[in-house]
Amino acid sequence: MANSNLPRRIIKETQRLLSEPAPGISASPSEDNMRYFNVMILGPTQSPYEGGVFKLELFLPEEYPMAAPKVRFLTKIYHPNIDKLGRICLDILKDKWSPALQIRTVLLSIQALLSAPNPDDPLSENIAKHWKTNEAEAVETAKEWTRLYASGA
Amino acid sequence: MDPEDELRDNESTGDGDFCSDDGIADYDYGDADFAESQEIVSPLKQNYTILSEADIRQRQEEDITQICAILSVSRSAACNLLCHYKWNVSKVQDEWFANEENVCKVVGLLHNPVKTSNSRKLNCGICFENYDRSKMSAASCGHYFCNACWKGYITTSINEGPGCLMLRCPDPSCNAAVDWDMIDRLAGFEEKEKYARHLLRSYVEDSKKIKWCPSPGCEFAVDFDINSISYDVCCYCSHSFCWNCIEEVHRPVECGMVAKWIIKNNAESENTNWILVNSKPCPKCKRPIEKNQGCMHMTCRAPCKFEFCWLCLGAWSEHGAKTGGFYSCNGYETARRDGMYDESEKRRKRAKLSLERYTHYYERWATNESSRKKALEDLHIMQTNKLEKLSLRQGLSEAQLKFIIDAWLQIVECRRVLKWTYAYGYYLPEHEDTKRQFFEYLQGEAEFGLERLHQCAEKELQEFLDADTPMKGFDNFRVKLTRLTSVTHNYFENLVQALERGLMDVDSSDPQSSSKSSSPSSPGDMPGKMKSSKATEADDPS
Repeated sequence: MANSNLPRRIIKETQRLLSEPAPGISASPSEDNMRYFNVMILGPTQSPYEGGVFKLELFLPEEYPMAAPKVRFLTKIYHPNIDKLGRICLDILKDKWSPALQIRTVLLSIQALLSAPNPDDPLSENIAKHWKTNEAEAVETAKEWTRLYASGA
Repeated sequence: MDPEDELRDNESTGDGDFCSDDGIADYDYGDADFAESQEIVSPLKQNYTILSEADIRQRQEEDITQICAILSVSRSAACNLLCHYKWNVSKVQDEWFANEENVCKVVGLLHNPVKTSNSRKLNCGICFENYDRSKMSAASCGHYFCNACWKGYITTSINEGPGCLMLRCPDPSCNAAVDWDMIDRLAGFEEKEKYARHLLRSYVEDSKKIKWCPSPGCEFAVDFDINSISYDVCCYCSHSFCWNCIEEVHRPVECGMVAKWIIKNNAESENTNWILVNSKPCPKCKRPIEKNQGCMHMTCRAPCKFEFCWLCLGAWSEHGAKTGGFYSCNGYETARRDGMYDESEKRRKRAKLSLERYTHYYERWATNESSRKKALEDLHIMQTNKLEKLSLRQGLSEAQLKFIIDAWLQIVECRRVLKWTYAYGYYLPEHEDTKRQFFEYLQGEAEFGLERLHQCAEKELQEFLDADTPMKGFDNFRVKLTRLTSVTHNYFENLVQALERGLMDVDSSDPQSSSKSSSPSSPGDMPGKMKSSKATEADDPS
């Protein structure tokens, strides 16, 4: 089984994530695949996602930590940098990845992205347009979606 | 001993040194009559340098050494600096002496490493293991990682591409450059090779004045003098291209027009035009015919044996004064007025007309291109095989037969020019009647000359190749082919020069239109040949 020769780094990261979780974030490995994590991020306060519980999946590829983890939202979310498949536009997941970054730093960055949407570097063209032309309305939609899809039921 | 015999002897014994005085004298003998045809091959002064991989490496080495000496920095640092400033040696110096501190910061050459704990063992921030300091490394910043993780980090980056030349410390907040020394110390053999390869390529690809030859598989690069009069360059691999737009050489047509034409062809030529250009039914027996010889004079297979013109499909016997000369078949307007294209044209929609007009020019453009390729093949066969055979049969040295090579070189060049004049013709505004007439006259003259030359070099030569013994007429043939080469050269020079002047030799009655076609240089539309020194200055990217 793949888990038997799991790099020490992944084991250590997992242990730390479980023993000292970051506020508002939980990540636990799947039972049958230690490289696959079930992630939950709480919507940051004073953001349109406040009160929501967002599920994500995170996968550590074979090359990790030389290659970035693959992360995706499973919960529907109205955000200019996240598309309808849940893919995230975040530099450290792509060209700015460094092996000195960790699962924890990645998840904290995603949490920060929820607090500070960046419509100038959009992944979802329509949502970004909405954000730029009528931010108040876009924020309302984001709140609505949070209620509808991320109420933690 | 006859100098020719000696030349041949030298070749057959293979003692290699056949550029002896005798060889040159012999060459001169063959050359005397053809001074003019000689200059046809490269009419313009060569103002570029072809660089082999070794040349590039040497230049790069010189630049690195120079920066090392002037700035008193290590070779690795010099590499980092040069990569950052795109191998512009003077820019590196200017920036360095203007603000050394800032340059170091931007490039990532740090002088004050961060403080690390003094303990012998440190924790690697990548694999989270503790290591003895001796098993760890850090860039100029002092962020330590274990050597195994460094190796992984460097390997990944090198395999991702040329970005590895700007590699930084793995610490996300750190800007320190990972230099050549570290790569050399920590990467595997294969990765080091790749890194050196990226470094070499960046010298060409980041430079503003060097470009790779675009021919597939060719490894030469061309260093171009920005102040040159022409963009035409010819690589050692024999591929000729326009240094400005990287397309094949297209004098007298401008880069902008070439780009437009190529886009148009890609959009319209995909389906019907291949068939159109590559096969036609015999106008008499309707059997499909694929053109496999250079000139336009076609003869259908027995029993039909109908002789016709590939371009207009008219009987060859009817070619003459009516079509503007025996070999001439370029007058689209004339043909159209005479109703040869279609009687009911007036009733057709404009779109149809424009497609037909395009097809007319595209067909001639493409036919001349395939004719050029065929001529190039023929030239090659001539050089590698036939000339030697002919030399034996006719009892003449290969140098004495050089006029044949000159003729074929001229044909190849003319087919290329003629091809592009059809793109030119397509974009020549319809209402500029005087210019159009002048253009078609010049093009017709040139085409007429070329068809005669091509026929002579292809068909008449064949008789001598087929003969087993020396034939009497060979001297006459030599005179004829040489004369045709020279005449055709002149026709094409006239054509090229007139087009490059924007056909200004005829006064257009419409001043607006004349100014339009004579001022081709909008910034995005660089001329194929620069018109004046002023234009040269304006185009200089530095």
